Amino acid sequence: MMAEQVYTVASDSETTGDDKVQFAFPDLAIGIDIGTSKCSVAIWNGTQVELLRNPRNQKLMRSYVLFKDDSPSGGVSEELAHGEQEIFSGSAVFNMKRFVGRVDTDPVVHASKTLPFLVQTLDIGVRPFIAALVNNVWRSTTPEEVLAIFLVELKAMAEVQLKRQIRHAVLTIPVSFSRFQKSRIERACAMAGLHVLRLMPEPTSVALLYAQQQQQSLHENMGSGTEKVALIFNMGAGYCDVAITATAGGVSQIKALLGCTVGGEDILQNVLRHLLPNFDTFCANHSMDKIKAMGLLRIATQDAIHKLSSQPSVNIDVDLGDGNKICKTLNCSEFEEVNGNLFEKCEKLIMQCLVDAKLTAEDINDVILVGGCSNIPKIRSLVLGLCKRENLYEGIDPLEAAVCGAALEGAVASGISDPSGSLDLLTIQATPLNLGIRADGDGFATIINRNTAIPARKDMLFTTAHDNQTEALIAVYEGEGKQVEDCQLLGYFKITGIPPAPKGAAEISVCMDIDASDVLRVLAGVILPGTQSTVSPFIEVRMPTLGDGHGWCAQALAKMYGSTLDLATIPKKLQ
Amino acid sequence: MTAPMIASPSQFLGLRIAPPLPRFAAPTSPRSATSLRSPGISAAYTAAAERRPADALSPAAPSPVASLYDVLGLPADATGQEIKAAYRRLARASHPDVVATDRKGTSADEFIRIHAAYSTLSDPDKRADYDRKLLLLGRHRRTVRRPTTQPSSSWAFSRSPSFPGYGRRTWETDQCW
Repeated sequence: MMAEQVYTVASDSETTGDDKVQFAFPDLAIGIDIGTSKCSVAIWNGTQVELLRNPRNQKLMRSYVLFKDDSPSGGVSEELAHGEQEIFSGSAVFNMKRFVGRVDTDPVVHASKTLPFLVQTLDIGVRPFIAALVNNVWRSTTPEEVLAIFLVELKAMAEVQLKRQIRHAVLTIPVSFSRFQKSRIERACAMAGLHVLRLMPEPTSVALLYAQQQQQSLHENMGSGTEKVALIFNMGAGYCDVAITATAGGVSQIKALLGCTVGGEDILQNVLRHLLPNFDTFCANHSMDKIKAMGLLRIATQDAIHKLSSQPSVNIDVDLGDGNKICKTLNCSEFEEVNGNLFEKCEKLIMQCLVDAKLTAEDINDVILVGGCSNIPKIRSLVLGLCKRENLYEGIDPLEAAVCGAALEGAVASGISDPSGSLDLLTIQATPLNLGIRADGDGFATIINRNTAIPARKDMLFTTAHDNQTEALIAVYEGEGKQVEDCQLLGYFKITGIPPAPKGAAEISVCMDIDASDVLRVLAGVILPGTQSTVSPFIEVRMPTLGDGHGWCAQALAKMYGSTLDLATIPKKLQ
Repeated sequence: MTAPMIASPSQFLGLRIAPPLPRFAAPTSPRSATSLRSPGISAAYTAAAERRPADALSPAAPSPVASLYDVLGLPADATGQEIKAAYRRLARASHPDVVATDRKGTSADEFIRIHAAYSTLSDPDKRADYDRKLLLLGRHRRTVRRPTTQPSSSWAFSRSPSFPGYGRRTWETDQCW
């Protein structure tokens, strides 16, 4: 303790054990779980992961930003919480994780038009217009801005408590996020003055926590160190993810990852439409009294859904004004019927993930259920049913697991080691979506398959589609489709100086490299057929390169160049 | 005037991986008190001869230097359990997340190679296929090769300035704002 005192400059507070760690690791990254509905911050305190609390003693804080007069605020550090009615008054913007990096043709954006703030779409493939009501004026904002305002508050909260500057963070993200969406999250962090050390898919963050727990129980009873396979199902307000991880000796290997845009918000909207069949038109005009009525109905319905997790039926009684009253009893079977499609999607996701991991239910040792929807009895029963299990894994807090894993990763990736060995951890991540380029017309030629362990590097040879073609366009896509129109365009660049030759003769090498931080680089160039020699310097591009309005790029390219810059795949046996 | 660059793609790819030394290949002492990030591991990996990228990327084709069993430091009759254990042990020594900062670039190559070997040998069908190919070639040696040294000048030339031995800069190409 004496030695540490020397470094305690300009601080009159007592030196605690925590401070000691902070001084020893001034760049230790914090873990942030910025959820659709709630968010939290955690840090490795030298011996274990600790969740930070706001002045209202909350570990889980609501994700919203209230635009009031000139100062938007997320209410993280305020002494008094904003009231529910204030949050649903039109002045607050929330659910931004569902909007990040989406264009106005996206069904998810359209489904969000019933939220009590302004979401306007022109349906042409640009970012949607989002606005909050300030002094009776709709003031525009962006998902990145809202997230950044919120992140600034979380960062400030952590800096006050840890008494140091925070620079690095590990954030958890949904599995289904495209690389473009990830770049928007990084953008929001940059605006908030945070450097993103890692973006971790939520279930893989839980997998890391599970690996640590397995490692610790092993230390205690000197077990055999055999591999344990866990299925992690995570469903929050905005997204649903599944991961299968094989864990032994502190190494968690992600076998398969799958996610989709289904969450508690969809459950809520299904119930709202059930209660008020003309819900969408009711919300359409965004007048003050309609927003207020929508807010009241949202609060009552949310409350009812929570109660249905522990009781068979619940009464909903809301006065929407204009003689419009909703007075209904909602029971469990009704609730499950209304959300039948959604539960089916969850089942399909789990089954597909098992297929992808080449495993069956019998191979699963532990079933871990996390996220805000994990309390819903139907979700529990369907996950357990598909895994042929009686009980869920215990010892992981469903709402805190993701942020704890992020804090662990923050410590591991910051290079901190722990004498007790509790940071001797490693997650071997997998890439959740296929990566490839446009080839053979509008086909999607996969170069790196989904569920490939990262870091990864793959190269593939392509050839020209026309005689004497001297230039070719490398258009990089990500997704599950067989055609590029079903995938997300990440960026493109042109290869020039292809020696004139009949079509199919030139050889163009395209190499994709994903490093351990999940950064994708594409390296392409012409090589002399049958040799390893390059014709001219290769081009290396970090992806994604596209900004807003990327929905238009593919169309613009097609209009300008037609098929003149096309590439074709080379049959595998010739590669 | 520009002469064509005489550089093989493998030089861009910077594949420069040594087979693991027996010290790491030995199937003993899985978890010890030492940390994952213990210093000194880096010294154990030295540069080996250049090889074509196809060898590392398509594990079905046995490389001219070392078999996939050599990569994992295992005999050809290793069990599935031994393969998994060896993979984890080597991953813990080579994954960029746990190695010293100055080795991040090369450790990705090491890890990719180890993972390629593992994914072939851990799949019974792929392994049988691979074993047949080895048998046909009749050139599988059980011994783990010592890494060969090579002149430092060619080592320097073998890497492009940024691919893949880069640091992470998120601001560099963010042109949206």
